[in-house]
Amino acid sequence: MSTIASKRLNCAADLERIREQLLSLRVASAKSVHICTGPGCAAKGSPRLYELFCEAVKEAGVDVEVQAKAVGCHGLCECGPIVLIQPSDIFYQRVEEPDVAEIFRETVLGDRVIERLLYENPTTGEKAKSADEIPFYKAQKRVALACNGVVDPTKITDYIAEGGYGALAKVLSVMTPEEVISEVEVAGLRGRGGGGFPTARKWRSCREAEGSPRYVICNGDEGDPGAFMDRAIMEGNPHSVLEGMLIGAYAIGSSQGYIYVRNEYPLSVECLKQAISQAREIGLLGQNILGNSFSFDIRINRGGGAFVCGESTALMASLEGRTGEPRAKYVHTIESGLWGKPTNLNNVETWANVPAIINNGGEWFANIGTERSKGTKVFSLVGKVENTGLVEVPMGITLRRIVDEIGGGIRGDKLFKAVQTGGPSGGCIPAEHLDARVDFDELTKLGSMMGSGGMIVMDEDTCMVNVAKYFTDFLQKESCGKCTPCREGLSQMLHILSRISRGEGEVGDVEELGTLAEILEGTALCALGKTAANPVLSTIRYFRDEYDAHILDRRCPAKECRGLFRYEIDAEACKACGICLKNCPADAITGEKKVPHVINQEKCTLCGTCWEKCPFTAVKKV
Amino acid sequence: MRDMLGEMPVHRGEEGLKKDKLMPTVTIDGQKVEVERDATVLDAAKKAGVWIPTLCYHPAVSTSGSCRICMVELDRGDWRQLITACNYPVRRDIVVYVSSERAERARRSVMELLLARAPESPELKALAERMGVKSTPYPTVTESQRSCILCGLCVAVCEEIIGRAAIGYAGRGVDRTVAAPFRQPSEDCIGCGACAAICPVGTIKVRVHEDQQEVEISPFKSRAKLTVCRQCGEPIGSALVSERVLAKVQVSSEEFSELMRLCPKCRRSKTAAQLESADTDRRKVDVKAAKEQMSLKK
Repeated sequence: MSTIASKRLNCAADLERIREQLLSLRVASAKSVHICTGPGCAAKGSPRLYELFCEAVKEAGVDVEVQAKAVGCHGLCECGPIVLIQPSDIFYQRVEEPDVAEIFRETVLGDRVIERLLYENPTTGEKAKSADEIPFYKAQKRVALACNGVVDPTKITDYIAEGGYGALAKVLSVMTPEEVISEVEVAGLRGRGGGGFPTARKWRSCREAEGSPRYVICNGDEGDPGAFMDRAIMEGNPHSVLEGMLIGAYAIGSSQGYIYVRNEYPLSVECLKQAISQAREIGLLGQNILGNSFSFDIRINRGGGAFVCGESTALMASLEGRTGEPRAKYVHTIESGLWGKPTNLNNVETWANVPAIINNGGEWFANIGTERSKGTKVFSLVGKVENTGLVEVPMGITLRRIVDEIGGGIRGDKLFKAVQTGGPSGGCIPAEHLDARVDFDELTKLGSMMGSGGMIVMDEDTCMVNVAKYFTDFLQKESCGKCTPCREGLSQMLHILSRISRGEGEVGDVEELGTLAEILEGTALCALGKTAANPVLSTIRYFRDEYDAHILDRRCPAKECRGLFRYEIDAEACKACGICLKNCPADAITGEKKVPHVINQEKCTLCGTCWEKCPFTAVKKV
Repeated sequence: MRDMLGEMPVHRGEEGLKKDKLMPTVTIDGQKVEVERDATVLDAAKKAGVWIPTLCYHPAVSTSGSCRICMVELDRGDWRQLITACNYPVRRDIVVYVSSERAERARRSVMELLLARAPESPELKALAERMGVKSTPYPTVTESQRSCILCGLCVAVCEEIIGRAAIGYAGRGVDRTVAAPFRQPSEDCIGCGACAAICPVGTIKVRVHEDQQEVEISPFKSRAKLTVCRQCGEPIGSALVSERVLAKVQVSSEEFSELMRLCPKCRRSKTAAQLESADTDRRKVDVKAAKEQMSLKK
């Protein structure tokens, strides 16, 4: 295949010809094994599975038309590593090394399904043969992730065969820049990085801004705890990002783009680098793209590890080689951004949505979603749900459907408490608002936000004061320290929250937190500081009783804050095995054979060892 | 970290730059002043004679807007936004409120946070008093190096005016400090003391070690050779600075070089003596002529 696409493409027809050639090479009966090498599956050893499948293909010889393919994230990371057998569309989960030979023999060569490796619905016990039958996928709609899990991210030919760069060809041959912007405007695409600013308006402002050159930037500095949406796109389908940027650059009138990737994503950098060099090789990046007068190239810049560099002005400072600190945005980056030039910055997911909009039309995109939030949104669903992973849902879906249907509900027999959206600047949404729809404005109304798409589900064992403390601590550590309210205010808030969670809270602390939150929101320099109080404010708003329990009763209702609950041994459940007694480092447990053990509360240091060690769960938190 | 565009000025976008005026009017607490396009709200306030407290602002260096003590309210029609006066550029007619309740509360809150950080600084206390802040409700939870409030003026003056960049920031967030590289005495420091002069809270000091014939910029521990007055032997300052001044002004006259090697006091008396011996009559005439010219101009 590689020889087909080694020549430079000089016009849109060249691209179409190559696509047809690539498709004709695909033998109808040929089988392919898709091994997910997304972040979750890779962590569980899928790259080794890929190697084994490749070896198996080699051993099978030339008579058998089989291809092993490493693809991007499938989403259901909980059940990784995931292996898909095409064209029969068989979905295997939790595949391990010893399974490879069996899969190859039975399913690939023998067309037999291995029941053991199929997904089993935990409630009905039904086995699902293909992904479509799994509830996790049923409520999803894939636009940005459409080709994730289908194309090999290391091969541009794979992307082209799936229709890739077709949107670019269309734009360059039949659309004016203004038409491109109008199409995106009709689509109603809003920035997926968190702010939700209308993308077309941003592009137009940048196009109309005085000064040259103009720059486009892709923000790949995904830093929210638990979030990996952008990573999955950069590593699963990097060409969709490049194509989006190319289209945006054409619309804006830019000839140089940058992708800023956080330092913790070396694989993303690797994938993008490869994608860029492949695109350059066939002339999809560089001078006179597809014979058009439009020229564009992309550079990758790696971040230095600061969360705040996801903020546009800090990112640009970092790109310029200065300390990654935000500046006031009274003069916006559209007008004076990178090196003082008009600069348009969008996040990875936003760019990845652009080719689909051009291909299917703005109206198609606008038909998905709610009145003011169009299209889909990718979330990384993590926390106490059965199915953690990467999900892409149409805007307007309720949180309940995401948690219950896609997520499979709360793990174990625990009760749902809250879902945290929007990353460290977002908020916690309680059970009574689970029917709220995923929509930029609706989530903001609830005191949270869309953010870049982190979604952390919490159950009854999660202490909301502790959650607020965790995020405040995160932000205080990640604050750049430039402005007073963020540096000093967050430290003051953390000080109060630490006191409360130690059981040293005082009456008036909650009000004090509210005052500090107001100061931060009004006076901090950048979005990090302005929104930093959201975790605290939203937990106070919905879980004030937990704060009061900590402060007034010196009690942690979720039994998570050490010192604000006791360990006791349930005499009926205790089998008097003596394990707790032996392991207690404080000698606080007494008991004899056949006599239920007892914890001496005065001696107990609340270390929790007995609770962890008891084989009969007889040690309770009370 | 996600990015937010919440602050995108409302006059941008569809209406574009057309509305921008050459001399927009700023209405401060009801008082109207005209300023040049891209002047700041602080410039306008100064022109109107309205006092806004500042810490990280200095006309000699670029503004960073880091201390947030100059918060004022900007009228956006249906809502009001808190902005920093020192770096908000005026591009059209705007209405701002300096003494509104919210603006005053914002400024006082920032001061309270700073007082918690640097409770010992007399300079900060004096500014607080002028702002009507008597004490802070907050405990000291962040460590400051000798009352440093991290306004950044010292770093800016060293880089932008002196051209040495001998100091910069070390650490991030609450650990941020101003320091020379690796917290070691800096070889780039010429001992000019501009950082000490510009520091609004008295953190940075110039110390003269006469016994070692050195000046030290404290707390950075950087030292430079001391130069003393050729006439009276009093210390003048860093020898490197005198050398640079001489090199910069490029006056080859031996007389000027000689003057520069004296302390200000001796320089004055020497100049006075020189003038004494000069033609006094001509001087009188000159002064008279100058005065006449002045009155003509009026």
